[in-house]
Parts: sequence; C-alpha cells; structure tokens
Amino acid sequence: MLSYIVKRILVFIPTLLAVSLITFVISVNAPGDPVEQMLNKNGGGDGQASDKLATEKVYRETRQIYGLDLPLFYFDITNATCPDTLYKIADETTRNTLERLSNQYGHWDDAAVYYTKLRSLEFLLLRSKATGINADLLTQAKTNVESLYGLYKTEDILHAFQKLSSLTALATESESFSEAFRELKDAYLRMQLHGNGMNKYIPVLHWHGTNNQYHRWFSHFITGDFGISYQDKRPVSSLIKDAWPWTAGISLFSVFLAYLISIPLGVHSAVNKGALSERISTTFLFMLYSLPSFWVATLCVIFLCGGDWLNIFPGPGAEPIPHDASIGYTLVQTGWRLVLPLLCWTYGSLAFISRQMRGAVLNEINQDYIRTARAKGLSENKVIWKHALRNSLLPIITLFAGVFPLAISGSIVLEHIFNIPGMGELTYEALFSKNYPVIFAVLMITAFLTLFGNLVADILYVVADPRISYEENKR
Amino acid sequence: MDPLSSFLPDIQADEALIGLSENHPPQTYWALVRKQFRKNRIAVWSLRLIGILLFIALFADFLANEKPIVCKYQGHVYFPIAKGYLVDAGMAKWPADLLNADWQKLNYEWSVFPPVPYLPQNLDHENEHGVSPFGLQKVKSKRWTHWMGTDELGRDILSGMLHGTRIALTVGLVSMSLALFIGLILGALAGYYGDERLQISRTRLYLSILFGLIGIFYGFGSRSFDLHDALADSFIHFLFQLIFSLFIFLVFLALGNILVPLFRRSSFLNKKIKIPVDMLVSRLIEIMLSVPTLFLIISVAAIVTRPSVFIVMVIIGLTGWTGIARFIRAELLRIRSLEYMEAANALGFSEFRILFRHAIPNALSPVLIALAFGIAGAILTESLLSFLGIGVPAESITWGSMLAMARQTPGAWWVALFPGFAIFLTVTVYNLIGEGLTDALDPRQRK
Repeated sequence: MLSYIVKRILVFIPTLLAVSLITFVISVNAPGDPVEQMLNKNGGGDGQASDKLATEKVYRETRQIYGLDLPLFYFDITNATCPDTLYKIADETTRNTLERLSNQYGHWDDAAVYYTKLRSLEFLLLRSKATGINADLLTQAKTNVESLYGLYKTEDILHAFQKLSSLTALATESESFSEAFRELKDAYLRMQLHGNGMNKYIPVLHWHGTNNQYHRWFSHFITGDFGISYQDKRPVSSLIKDAWPWTAGISLFSVFLAYLISIPLGVHSAVNKGALSERISTTFLFMLYSLPSFWVATLCVIFLCGGDWLNIFPGPGAEPIPHDASIGYTLVQTGWRLVLPLLCWTYGSLAFISRQMRGAVLNEINQDYIRTARAKGLSENKVIWKHALRNSLLPIITLFAGVFPLAISGSIVLEHIFNIPGMGELTYEALFSKNYPVIFAVLMITAFLTLFGNLVADILYVVADPRISYEENKR
Repeated sequence: MDPLSSFLPDIQADEALIGLSENHPPQTYWALVRKQFRKNRIAVWSLRLIGILLFIALFADFLANEKPIVCKYQGHVYFPIAKGYLVDAGMAKWPADLLNADWQKLNYEWSVFPPVPYLPQNLDHENEHGVSPFGLQKVKSKRWTHWMGTDELGRDILSGMLHGTRIALTVGLVSMSLALFIGLILGALAGYYGDERLQISRTRLYLSILFGLIGIFYGFGSRSFDLHDALADSFIHFLFQLIFSLFIFLVFLALGNILVPLFRRSSFLNKKIKIPVDMLVSRLIEIMLSVPTLFLIISVAAIVTRPSVFIVMVIIGLTGWTGIARFIRAELLRIRSLEYMEAANALGFSEFRILFRHAIPNALSPVLIALAFGIAGAILTESLLSFLGIGVPAESITWGSMLAMARQTPGAWWVALFPGFAIFLTVTVYNLIGEGLTDALDPRQRK
C-alpha cells in the first residue's frame, strides 16, 4: 500500500511539470507587453530625449524586478542568425523587428549596428529644439524614425527612408541630422549586401542555466508566490486568498448536498427498476443532467429575482448587506442570496451521481453474493443498504476526484451570473483585462487540484476495496 | 474474398450462430446493433431530430434571410440567395442597382421571401429594446412578425436560432473529427502494440529521433516567421504553410530511416529494443486529464489575438480525444489476443494492414458512444464560451451569445428561453443517442 502511494506521488511530479510547461508556454505567448501593462505606459512620442531615457530606465528596471529580462528557458535551439542576447532588448516590437531583420539577412552583428544607428538618429531628433515651421517637420521626422523600429520588410523601410530624406531636404540647418541619417542608410545597405541566406539553416544551441524565467516562475509558484496582478499590483496570492472561501464554500456544500440526495435516490431507482415512479425520475434526472447550468441560472435570475416576474430572491444586482447589520441578519441574508447559486451548482452533479449510483447498484444486485445474502434470510433493507451499497460506492469514490477541480472551473459562469466574488469571477475579470498572472495562477492551481484529486481517489479506491491491489498489477 | 473471413471475432461468430438457429439469414454485427438501437424509441427519435437540425443547418440561408428566395425586379427574375453564394465564390457579380440594395424595401413585381425574412444581424430599429413575441410589434404585416421577439438591438431571435444551428453542429462535427483522428491513432497504437510488441533496432530509434529533431528545426524552426505571417494573413494560408512544414519534417524522418541499413554491421546498434507505447500514451492521457480542459480552452482563447469560432473548435478537438483513445485502446487490447489476429500474422500480412484493415474496424463501435457524448460536450463548451464572450468574435451570433444578450435586457424571457432551449435540446439529443448506443452495443442487453 505504502509503496503504491509513493509510486503514485512519483508519477504525480512529472505530470505536474508537464502541466506547468503547458501553462508557461501559453503564458509566454500571451499578447501584449506585461511591463507596459504594469506601467500603464502611454506613448511618449513627443517627449524629450531625457524623458525618453527616463521612461526607458523605469521600463528596464521594472523588467528586471519581475525577471522579464531573463531568458525564457534553460536552453534554446535557434538558428545561427539569432543572437543569444536578444532577450536583453527591452521593447517587444523592437525585439521582434531585429529578430526578423537578422533572420532575413543572416547576421546579427549587422542588425545590431543598424539598431544603434537608428537609436542615435532618434535621440538626435529628440534632442534638437523645434523652431517655428520646423516643429511640424521635426514631429514628422520623429514619427517616421519611430516607425522604423517596427519595420522589417525591405519596401517598407525604403519607403520610410524616402519620406525621411524628403524631410531632411527641408530641415537643412541640421548638419548632424543628415550625417546620422546617412549612417543609418549605410548600415542598412551593409546589412543587405553582407547578407547570407544560409545562416538561418544552421542550428545553434544556447545554454542559459537556471537563471531563467521558467525556473523563476515555477520555483516561486511552488513556494506560493504567484506573481503580481497587473491591475492593482497586489500579489495574486492575496487576491486568491480573498476569493477562494466563496468558491470553496459553495462548492463543498453543493457536493455534500449532491451526495446526500443522490445516493438514496440512485439506490431507490435501481431497486424499483421498471416501476413508473422510477422511469419518471430516471428521465427527469437525465434531463437535469443535460440542462446547461448557465441557462438555468439565467432563467432563475429573470423569473425569480424581481423584474416583471416573481420577486422571491435578491438578484445579482441587489444591494450589499450593510456592515453594521447584526450577525443573524447578515447570515440569513447571505444564506438567502446563496440559495439560487447553490441550486444551480448542485443539480448537475446531483443528476450525474444519481445516474452513476443507479448503474452501480444495478450491477451489484445481480451478483451471486446478493442472492446468498437473501437466501440466508437477511431483510431486503439489509441486503441493499449493507451489502449492495458498499460495493456500489466504488465508482462514486472515483467521481469524488473530479470534485476538486470542478469546485473552481465550474464556477466561472455561475459566479459571473450571480455576481459572487469568488475564484470564477476573479478569473473572468482577469480574462477581460488581460491580467495574465491571475489567469495562469488559477490554471496551475486547478491543474494541481485535479492531480491531487486523482491521487486521493486512487488511494481511497484501494482502501475501500480490498480486492484491488496495485502491487503486481501489470497487465 | 478476404482470407480472414473464417476467423471473424467471436462476437460476430456468435451472432451468426444465433441468427442461423432461429432460421433467419445470418446477421452481421452491425445489423444486430441497428436492430437493438431501433428498440430504443427515444434514441431513434433523437436521431430523427438530428436529421431535422442538420436540415436547418444546411438550409439556414433559405429559411431566414433578408433577401427573397425568388423575385422579379425590373423585368428580371432573380434568385438572390442562390446568387449570393455565387457572388461570394467570385463566380458572379451583382448588377449595379442591386449591389448595395436594401432588399426589404425594393419594389418587386413579385417576390417569395423565406419564412423568416430577417438575417440574424439585421437591426430592426422599429422594434428595439427587446420586443416580446406576444407584445405589440411595429411591423408592416403579419408576414414580418418577429415570432420569437427581438433582442436589445432589435435583432430577430428566430433568425438567430436558425443560423445558430449551423455553428453548433459545425462545432460538434469539426472538433470531434479532430479528436477522433488523434484518439484513434494514439489509442490504436497503445492498444495494439502494448508495452512489449513494438520493437525496433537501436539504429532506427536513434536515427529517427535525430532526424526528427532536424526535421522539426527545418520544418518549423527555420520557417517560424513564414508560419507566423501566414497565421496573421488567413487560416487557409496558414494551413497550407503548416502542411508544407509537416512535409519537410516527414522528408527528414524518411531520410533518417533510409540510412538505417548503413549501420547493419554493428551488433550493438542492431539490437532491438522495446518501445513502451502503451505506457507513453497512457501517461499522455493522464496529463491531458489533469489539465482542467475548460480552463485551458479559456486561457488559450484569451490569448488568441483574433478570436474565431474555428480556433475554439480546434482547441476543443485537441483536448477532447482522451475518451476516444481510451475506448479504442481497451478494445484493441481485447482484439489483439483473438485468434483471427494470429491468423493474420500467420498469413504474413504487414503490421500496418493488420492494424488498419483488420483490428481498428472491429474496435470502432464503442467509439461511437464516446463520439456522441463528445459532440454534446463540445456544443456545450462552445455555447458556454460564447455566453461568456471568450474566444468567439463579438459580432458572431451563436446560441450562447444570444443567451448572453438576455442579461442586457431585463425581463426579456424570450431572449433567454429560446436559445437556451436550443442548446439544451441539442445537447440532450446527442446524450440520448450516446445512451442508446451504449445499450445497443452492450451484449448483456441483447435477447
């Protein structure tokens, strides 16, 4: 038994690693720049050189604090055009452009020179003072230079160059500008002439060691540090701490209710198989099982929570309970508000478990040992509730594994409809504000709970049924 | 005739015997399943209902449309809906006066409109803010009634219901086809080869891994920007590039395998090793089952820059193959120990032929059960996502997104009732078919 549990836990670890990798891959590919979202950066196109430098400094520092300037993984395999230090460039668009340029022309060094020249040209423009009519031209030149950071197609770049040279002809007084612009063009031409299309077909392996984003993210996750929410910069763990009691409370209570009702119901319908009452209840349970909970919830809100119909329950938009209300009042009100959510939460699993229970009992009732029990004169009640039930509980135990993750994932839509500030609503809001640390923390936690639930179910299975042994069980 | 017919699996042999003993012509396995399925009246009615839904999905354009089916306009007879298909395919052009015409307000000499004269996206400004089907509707005649009311923006609910059928059924079909493809291959390999039976020489294994990695590098690594640009361009373009990448990968893999005979001399490299296919696939299934699917779909859908129903379908398919794979694996574990497999081996058939011609076809029946339940689940997942507005473009009209509109129009029961009922009905029907198949395929239930 113990060796089985140890073995299960050993399997648990690679699975958790695989899930964490899936989550990490998704999170890395999430669109948008996390640093920009944290800083709420707004443009800065018209700013002065010192402004720009200051913004870049803050940007770089934020990146460093959150470890976003680290390489992604322990190693990476790229082609020879791609430098191993690319991740150090802060701005995402620039990074992509440079990667593409160096991929197109085959030499990172040339692309880097082009980048430096582009930067010096930009800073020259930022530093120069606008006077009179030149102000407009200067702004145009600035936007053109800035757009170059995002351009990698030959015709686009040449087009931008052309525009710039037409502007330079007008902004004659600046000698250094035409100088810098020429250098930029030279760098671009050199990159093109020097080009080597074969370099991108040579694979290169870079080794980064443990100082990488995945390692950092995963080791922090294990210790309970889930990152910082982009929205209010609170730690994600504290957001989750506020939200989970709602979800966990409702889910556990609803699971308890479901088991409480469905086990007798399942046994009853199995024993009375074929009777009219049984046929009706079985059909009814099947309907319940297929009823989408978000539909039922929406209908409940429309028909039972005020509006033009019955006003029995407070709706999702009901006023919050005042803080100075007495404890009894608060409890009753909260309970009253949770009736509908609980109903919608429970009926699906109730129907499902009853159906499983019915099948399990039907399976057991035809076994020989039941006949023996009847033959030795046990009362029907004893036969069913003591002998048949115990063996029928096995499949029900397996279902318990699914309860843990359901507690969280099933709640997104219901919490959204009923406006309950639990994990589901937290995730929903995070989805729409693109608050990725929250989404991926919840994804990881749910996966972890699923794994844990499977583990618990497997162990319970062995405990409940002495016939099952995992010791030498190798098909 | 197939030399294997004398070694049919025992179920078929049994059925044949039963059939003979009752003085009937011998029945095939599928004929028996069909007979058993027909006994279940509810399941049969469900199947008919799916036929109706399929009809609605196929002809939604002719059932609910702003254009007339046939009309005579300025001396010409037009079939505007059918012509619309040709125009979309680039094979015809609208005459200038009809190009941007408001079809509902033209002066036709005569016209035949579809039963529902609205498209789901048409805004009826006369009937905004949700008009009840029993309420007072400002329409020209009874012909233009909104039979199921309108939503907040004045869109016809019935039209949305009809067109939504198309999306719902497509989601079930596409996602489960993908799941079937993955599940069938992985499950069959796991069940047929188990942990012991796939043996290949070290040379072949090492060369396959090496050249596989090289193939991935040249097929996907070097072409990552091409793939990326194609995805931003259009899905068809992306598919084309993806197939090209896969082709490069397969060429390298084949190259590696061609090189195998060169190393025949070395006894170390020639040693056969067992590949634990079953263990690998089972572990993969376990990982997939531990990933909270709905959450995974939501997370992926959230990071897709351009949401589309198609991406949702692909994700549901990629995560939904485990049930099918488990069924197939269990069936093949049983089948591979049957006598007719031995006979096939003795006749010298290739492994490939045995697996695909003789083993898999006999394992398909339980997959139908998984498919029926899988389709129900996929439709439910998609409607849930559109209800939440995740991963589905905001302008697309599905049952789920219509149901979500009910939350914006207080008291509009018709906006909630009809689309929700459509979801419920479709999901139930597929579940009922799954139930019927479970019973029909269960040998214990046969009499």
